[in-house]
Amino acid sequence: MNHTFTLPNSGHNYDAKASKLGMWLFLYTELLLFGGLFLVYMVYRSLNEEAFLLASFNLDVWMGTFNTVVLLTSSMTVAMSITALQLGDAKKSIMLLWLTIAAALIFLVVKYFEWGAKFEHGLFPGMDHFNTLPPGERLYFYLYFFMTGLHGLHVIVGGIFIGVVIHKIKNKSVNKNRYQLLENSGLYWHLVDLIWIYLFPLFYLIH
Amino acid sequence: MSNKDHNSEPHAEHISSYREHFGTWVGLILLTMMTVFISVFGADLRTLSVATALLIASVKALVVGYYFMHLKYDPAIYRIMMGIVMALFTVFLVMVIFDYLTRN
Repeated sequence: MNHTFTLPNSGHNYDAKASKLGMWLFLYTELLLFGGLFLVYMVYRSLNEEAFLLASFNLDVWMGTFNTVVLLTSSMTVAMSITALQLGDAKKSIMLLWLTIAAALIFLVVKYFEWGAKFEHGLFPGMDHFNTLPPGERLYFYLYFFMTGLHGLHVIVGGIFIGVVIHKIKNKSVNKNRYQLLENSGLYWHLVDLIWIYLFPLFYLIH
Repeated sequence: MSNKDHNSEPHAEHISSYREHFGTWVGLILLTMMTVFISVFGADLRTLSVATALLIASVKALVVGYYFMHLKYDPAIYRIMMGIVMALFTVFLVMVIFDYLTRN
C-alpha cells in the first residue's frame, strides 16, 4: 500500500502572518521596556526640574536634530525597500537597505562624537567632574547614558538584522513572494526610529 | 487546489507607493523642524514647550506607525493590540503619578 499524503504547507514552513504577528508581539514588549524607562525619567524630572534643565544644556541640539533627520530618512529608505521587493525589484531593494545601514552608521558616528565630548568633560557616571555635580544633574546623566545607550544598542542590532536580510535577498530566500523577513526588519527599524522620536525632545529640547 | 494558490501568493496586501513614503518623510521632517523651532526660539514658554514637544512627538509616532509600519492598511488586530499596549502603559503611568502625588 502506498499512502501519499500531503500536509497543507509541506515543504515550506513559511507563514507570513504568524511571522508578522510574532514580530509585533516582540515590538510591544520593547515599547513597554522603554515605556518603563520613560516613567523613571518622568518621576525624576518632576522632582529635579531645574537640575534637568541645567544638565540638558550640555547636549548639542543641532547634533540631536541631525540624528533625528538621519533616522527619519533611514525609516523612509527601509519602507521603500519593501515596496521595491514587493514590485519585484530586488536590486533596488538591496540598494535602499544599504542606504539604511549607511544611515545607521552615520547615526552611530554622531553619537560617538557626542558621547566622546561628554567623556572629555568628565560627565560619564563615576568620573571626577560627574561626582561633583548635584544629585539632580547626576540623575539626568545616568538616564541619558542608559537610555541613549540602550537605544544605540538597538540601532546596532537593527543594522545587523538588515545586513542579514540583504544576504538573504541576494541568495533569493527572501524574494517577491516571501518578503516577511524584510518587513520584520523594517518594523524593527521603525521601532528604533519611534523611540528616538521621544528621546530627542525629552533629552535635547528641554529649554 | 486552492491551497496551491494560497502558497504561491502568501502576501495579498496593499503595496505602499514610493511617493507615499516620500510624502510621509516630508511630513515627519516638517514636524521635527517645528518642534526644534518651538524649543530653541520659544524658550520663555517652558511648560508649554514640554507639552507641545510631547504632542508633536506623539503625532510623529502615529505617522510612523500608520504609514511606515503599515498599520493603516494592516488587519485591525495590530491596531487593537497596540491600543491594549497603550492602555496598559497608561495604567502604569496613572499608578506612578498617584504614587508620587500621595507621598509625603
